[in-house]
Amino acid sequence: MLLRNAILTVFCVSMLAVAQPATAAKDGPDPIVVNDPQYGEVLFYFYQGEYFPAIVRLLAAQEQAQLTEHEEQAELLLGGMYLSYGHHLEAADIFNRLLAGGADREVRDRTWFFLAKIWHQRGYLDKAQQALDNLSDDLPDNLRREAEMAQSQLYIDGGQYDRAIAMLQNWRGRTEWASYARFNLGVALVRSGDVDSATGILDELGDIDPFNEELAALRDRANLALGYSLLQSGQPYAAKAPLQRVRLAGPFSNKALLGVGWADAEIENYDRALVPWMELRSRDLLDSAVQESMLAIPYALAKLDSISQAADHYLNAIEAFYEETNRIDRTIGFIESGEIFEQFLSDDPLDSTGWYWRLEELPEGPEARYLYHLLATHEFQEGLKNYRDLSYLHKNLDDWQDNVEVYTNMLETRLQAYNERLPLVESALARADLDGMVDSKLEFDSVLKNIEESNDWLALATDREFELWGEITGLERAPALAADIPEAREVRDKIELLKGVLQWQLERDFKDRLWRVRRNLRETGEALVETQRSRRQIDDTMRLEPQRFGELSGRVYSLEPRIEGMKFRVGEKLAEQRAFLQSIAVGELQAQKQRLDVYTVQARFALAAIYDIAATAEEAGE
Amino acid sequence: MWRVTVTRHLLHSLAICMTLLFVGTTIAQESVSADQDPTTAAALEADAAAAASRDKFRSLDQDVQALKKEVLDLNRDLFLLEEELLFPANSQVAFFISMDVGEYFALDSINLKIDGKEVANYLYTEREVDALMRGGVHRLHMANLKTGDHELIAVFTGKGPNARDYRRGATLTFDKGIGAKYMELEITDRVKKQQPEFVIKDWE
Repeated sequence: MLLRNAILTVFCVSMLAVAQPATAAKDGPDPIVVNDPQYGEVLFYFYQGEYFPAIVRLLAAQEQAQLTEHEEQAELLLGGMYLSYGHHLEAADIFNRLLAGGADREVRDRTWFFLAKIWHQRGYLDKAQQALDNLSDDLPDNLRREAEMAQSQLYIDGGQYDRAIAMLQNWRGRTEWASYARFNLGVALVRSGDVDSATGILDELGDIDPFNEELAALRDRANLALGYSLLQSGQPYAAKAPLQRVRLAGPFSNKALLGVGWADAEIENYDRALVPWMELRSRDLLDSAVQESMLAIPYALAKLDSISQAADHYLNAIEAFYEETNRIDRTIGFIESGEIFEQFLSDDPLDSTGWYWRLEELPEGPEARYLYHLLATHEFQEGLKNYRDLSYLHKNLDDWQDNVEVYTNMLETRLQAYNERLPLVESALARADLDGMVDSKLEFDSVLKNIEESNDWLALATDREFELWGEITGLERAPALAADIPEAREVRDKIELLKGVLQWQLERDFKDRLWRVRRNLRETGEALVETQRSRRQIDDTMRLEPQRFGELSGRVYSLEPRIEGMKFRVGEKLAEQRAFLQSIAVGELQAQKQRLDVYTVQARFALAAIYDIAATAEEAGE
Repeated sequence: MWRVTVTRHLLHSLAICMTLLFVGTTIAQESVSADQDPTTAAALEADAAAAASRDKFRSLDQDVQALKKEVLDLNRDLFLLEEELLFPANSQVAFFISMDVGEYFALDSINLKIDGKEVANYLYTEREVDALMRGGVHRLHMANLKTGDHELIAVFTGKGPNARDYRRGATLTFDKGIGAKYMELEITDRVKKQQPEFVIKDWE
């Protein structure tokens, strides 16, 4: 048994790991006691964020009933790992089953919360709604705010603006969530047609003092939305203030600059309008605001009667749009070749997968600039995750395919070696008379028993002693010693003495020798029992091994086509997923191209009009 | 005349810009896909396209989920087969590394010898050491051993108290009977002596 240091219970780990896998486990007070090494091994991979090998080990250990001490914990951990791995439908099944069995309310809430989050992110809006419906009122404050925000977004997604507005208007708290709630309220109001109410809210939000980058971006966004809304409703003076509140270096600055220019143009102050628009000229043409500024500048110049400059700018714009269109075409070709997706993954090893993975940086190259904003969309990121997971699965199956080939060879070699050794073993076994050995041992037991009962100390004499005893008794019987003469008497006394000494020694050593012989016999008996057991094992092995080989071969051979089939299906799905990502990316680029086409037509039309005016003026002059 | 046309068109595109601002309402949370005015035909078309794209994604995602499940099950079967093939239960011995607290020792590597023969020399990454400290157990080595006595020597290398280089060995003679055997090599803290302790024992 192994008592670990302060770590959360596995249940908490599995739940919290979904939110913060790297830190959650360190903070809890309860120790984990790892009783099954296989369970500890699962944790070893889990704590490293390697969900795939962790899940495989857990499933294997469950299959072999090796987690007897952690049965319930293992099931919860599995659910948590499925969720972390992005295998949300399977995770939901496990949690549904476990929660039905009665679980702590906090655990239930956290589970449903994370399921709602992942489902919302993956576009399973109905399931996300069901998960949110399952939340109790006791959800911790930080999660509750996020859950309410998700709920309001689901209402907006579903066109239920009134419900979203009602929810967001009652938002409590002063955290940054409140600012997001205000913004979403503005969105819901705009979409429900109540632009006036939205304006007030956006104005208030556009004037906040942001304490972090996220809030600063939110403030910019609110100001931009408000500015354009006012422009659209014919209030260019009012529109300038919010537009000028947008940071010059932020992601919304291009649109803000464009808008400020249009506000000035609307009040016919074209000189001033040219200032922000000229600034946009030096920026990335990829941005639609920059593209539009290329038409706005000659428009303002024409208004200022700088016709020839206006014509030059239109020509520049047409040229720039043409080049940009060509670059987009090349990018479309690159995406359609599929190479870009391999590049996505090539810089990012497939050693870990899961829901937390995000592609943060695009591969270097001229194409990357067109796709940056795609990364911000859930659909593309989630699609990319699936693409990445499928690539991992494909590689995993590739590796197994190689291994299984090795195992097939290994099994064949083992079978061959077995067949070669079998006759030798059988012959050796036939020569070994194990039953005869057992009989001999029993016979020895009987003899020893007789020796002990009859106190036959001579029976345990050594060879030398026995020889001596024979010599002494032989001398005793020598006829010459029978004579009644002093010399014979003296020898007889010496023999008597020698015999007495030898007998005394044999009798003295008898018990010790008896004990040693008995011990040897006992050890022999034990060895015989062990030999008999080994013999039975060999018999069993000889009987079962062909069966085992057959069973293993069957499994190996059946797995080969299974891997092959699975690899084919993963490959198919990989292609389908790639096509899906391609369609998103190409669709986005086509939209950009269409916009450029429209702008080009506008520029050509304006240019033609300028030439027309110029020609008319010339004719009039003549 | 031409100026009016251009102005109208540009203002129209401005309107689109304005509504586009609502793409992804928040930064920290999920986006609200209110990217178009729903009252216009174009916006309705865009909404329909977005819904179709979402459906396509969902259908694909469900297929990927099902495939993941199948591949995981297949991996489980392959994992079990591999273990049975390479390490049959009768001769299998597994050596597990565990760590309890680990205040006085930062593990770098472990060298393992069985019956005088080097069988493993493993260098730990920071991530692996962290996983061990959290309660993870690392299966350092699997072997097939005959029944009877075997000598195990493990040498632990790392940083000891006061971040000094530290190298300690532990040894144990163990009896391998019939059936799988699990050995635990445990790194613990001896708080009284402020020193690490290395223990090899049967996993009970």
